[in-house]
Amino acid sequence: MRDTKATLMYILKRILLMLLTLVIIFIISFMLIRLLPIPDVGGVGADQEKFMLQQVRLGRMQIVNGEYVDIPIIQQLFNFIKNLFYPYYLDEETGELVKFSAWGMSTMKDYQTPPEVLFSNLGPTILLNLFSMLLSVPVGLALGTYMALKKDKWQDNFLGVLVMILISVPSFVSAFLIQYFLGFKLQWFDTTYELARPITSLVLPVLSMSIGSIAGYARYSRAELTEVLTSDFMLLARTKGLTRSQATIRHAFRNSLVPIFPMILGELISLLSGSMIIESIFGVPGVGGLFINSITQKDYDVFQFVSIFYILIGLVGGLIVDISYGIVDPRIRMGGEK
Amino acid sequence: MAENLINEESRKEKFKLAKQDSTIHDTKFETKPVTYLQDCLRRFAKNKASVVGAIILILIGLFSIFEPVIDPKNHVGNNDFFTSGEFRDQYFSCAKPKNALFEGTGFWDGTEVEVGMSQTNYKFKKFNDSNHPIIVEEIDEYLPNLPDSFLNDPKYQDKKQYDVRIDTYAIGCQELKISKDVFDDLVAYEKENGVFEQKDDGSIMKPLVDYEKYLSEFETQLNLEEYAQTDSLISAMRTMYIQNPSYYFKIVPVKTSNGVYSTSAYTIPENDDGTPVDIYQRDSEGNLVYYEIVDGSYKIRVDYYDYFTFRAGIEPIFLFGSNKYGQDILLRMALGVRFSLMLGICITLVNFIIGLIWGAISGYYGGKVDLIMERFTDVIANIPSIIIMSIANIQLVGNDELKAVLGAGGTIVVAIFIAFIYNGWVGVAGTTRMQFYRFKGQEYVLASRTLGAKDKRLIFKHILPNATGTLVTRSILMVPSIIFSEASLSYLGIIDFENSGICSIGAMLNEGKAAGLDKNPHVLLFPALLITLLMISFNLFGNGLRDAFNTTLRGSED
Repeated sequence: MRDTKATLMYILKRILLMLLTLVIIFIISFMLIRLLPIPDVGGVGADQEKFMLQQVRLGRMQIVNGEYVDIPIIQQLFNFIKNLFYPYYLDEETGELVKFSAWGMSTMKDYQTPPEVLFSNLGPTILLNLFSMLLSVPVGLALGTYMALKKDKWQDNFLGVLVMILISVPSFVSAFLIQYFLGFKLQWFDTTYELARPITSLVLPVLSMSIGSIAGYARYSRAELTEVLTSDFMLLARTKGLTRSQATIRHAFRNSLVPIFPMILGELISLLSGSMIIESIFGVPGVGGLFINSITQKDYDVFQFVSIFYILIGLVGGLIVDISYGIVDPRIRMGGEK
Repeated sequence: MAENLINEESRKEKFKLAKQDSTIHDTKFETKPVTYLQDCLRRFAKNKASVVGAIILILIGLFSIFEPVIDPKNHVGNNDFFTSGEFRDQYFSCAKPKNALFEGTGFWDGTEVEVGMSQTNYKFKKFNDSNHPIIVEEIDEYLPNLPDSFLNDPKYQDKKQYDVRIDTYAIGCQELKISKDVFDDLVAYEKENGVFEQKDDGSIMKPLVDYEKYLSEFETQLNLEEYAQTDSLISAMRTMYIQNPSYYFKIVPVKTSNGVYSTSAYTIPENDDGTPVDIYQRDSEGNLVYYEIVDGSYKIRVDYYDYFTFRAGIEPIFLFGSNKYGQDILLRMALGVRFSLMLGICITLVNFIIGLIWGAISGYYGGKVDLIMERFTDVIANIPSIIIMSIANIQLVGNDELKAVLGAGGTIVVAIFIAFIYNGWVGVAGTTRMQFYRFKGQEYVLASRTLGAKDKRLIFKHILPNATGTLVTRSILMVPSIIFSEASLSYLGIIDFENSGICSIGAMLNEGKAAGLDKNPHVLLFPALLITLLMISFNLFGNGLRDAFNTTLRGSED
């Protein structure tokens, strides 16, 4: 393994680059969000006062002659970085240091901190995505394998058309149809998420999410497998006496998984980000729904935190996919020169 | 061997050169040369599915262009009846799809079945002096939890429930205040048809209802009973009459067991012949009153469906139903798909041009230039466009100065453009860059460079034409993805087209969500089907195009 060191160096380099990208993106989005006008929260009175005072503590505003005035954005950025490492402020009444969150506070959720709000929404999202992956990966791969084995026969053609249609149908349309027919018409399942029944009420959202991915996996694995099935080593496998199913499972299927595995891995990471559309249709209180709500209700602190969360997931996902290519398939040399 | 040789020698004089006397020239090809595009077209035409996709796309395009032109509902701008300048009427909110051909069949005729309607509700809908009965068919009447043999038992009459078919276009009567001009027109029209001051026979104006007189009578009766909450009861009843101008009959509140009148449950007293007791306004001679002049305008009570037809000149029939605001879904689908297509094509064009230039520079020059440019696209591509969309939306749409210049719709379009263009071109740039890496090292480029070709010539004459196929296919497939993103963002409410005068498919999906999938599935169903059709045909078309432009497939399928 003389490549190990080079590989580790490559991974390290990629991680550093990723962090750099993250920091730049964060600064851009921080400025863009701070440019937004600060919303009127809770009208007048105690809530408004509490909100404004918090803005001052966070270093976003200052009190000049008894009025709240915005601090320049660059200064706000430095204040944010300072708060990140030293999240305390001096309570003037008691004279004690009080810990607070540099990320601000949610105005729509009882002044919780954005991380708290996000983590309280993670559960349903993870559950929903996990179930949908557990359903779509095996079914999709099985379907793709079947199609590849029946290549150019009527089964393949029929499933091919079906897969093409399922990929083309926008996710919200299939979700609506599922909700309408299975939920409202037949009344087999809950049409929206119920806290009391977190598993059974997730059936329809999981189904809606899986349809597109099943079709995607099927198409991809069919393409890969048909390519592998025609390669020379398959002929060798047959000539040395393996049966067709042995050759297919032991040689072809494993080899066809090489490009599919990183795809699954990438999806495993994006499991955290959830699907805004599906969550919105079925009323699942997940991360996607939180993001939408934070925009429509102008809860910018939560909006900023969830945005960064999304960006981080996107970056980490991309990185892991890239790195796993090299690990899964040793023929691919990572960071190789062109 | 030797014999053969001798034989040939001896035959030599028998051979003669065929073209001994003519000089040989290059002859022209008798077949026509196949150009690159012709070749692509031929290969495209072979793929039946893509041809079908292309035809559907063309049909959708034609629909989006010509439907708004032909549809009279789109040309009501100068009709002062429509104050908003477009064909919309709140009274026809969420009307079901109706095709005049299917009238009375129960399918596609604007009716819906309502199950388990209570006796009171049934009577409120049944007693109706407009020209259009609300209940068009009684499917079933039954007593819940009791066998049908009790149906005629007087004890259970008010417990009866009905399954009925309701005409969603029959909205009964409305009370209106209209100007003298309109009133004169209306009277002239009614006189022409001989229905002026007629109660029935398809007249538009119906007798006014004098509920105040009835209410004061009822109040007197309550006072005689020394009822405690007279005022609140009477005001509840007045609200009932004001909200439902169709009620031309007496309503009596239900008395609950503890002697209190209900403010929400009513019964309708009936005459001996089963008709309700009417409370029409009558003049001193006992004639019905059809209009009243209040503050210079005319107060009338009309059959709204016929009044609407009279004023609009178009019968309110919605082939695909109507939305929450009473707008025609078919017309809006055409307008919406036109907007979505135009948006998709414009943004794709801009993205294509930016991406091409960026990718060409990055790919052609390579090295440090490439590295820096790649880092830049890395950053841009990783900010989700939904974040940019939200920020652009909040910054621009909330900006009143910009709104004054561009209008509400224009501001949203600008926000959409910013959000979709700011990183939409990254994909095109990546593809272009890859193509340049692929071709720039090839021998023919080197040869051309050796002969003194400048960078510009190498890029535009030698490399770019080779990359056209891939790039065009990619760009065509970008159109549906933009339409899809716009639809999702509008659906989620991040792009809000309400009151902007713009209609997109996504906005229609959002309306469908608001209208409720269980009660009014049609508001959502038709736009959803249209966008599905659009996506499928775009994908078919794009796949065919990709194969057609792929010259390596040439001959392999023949």
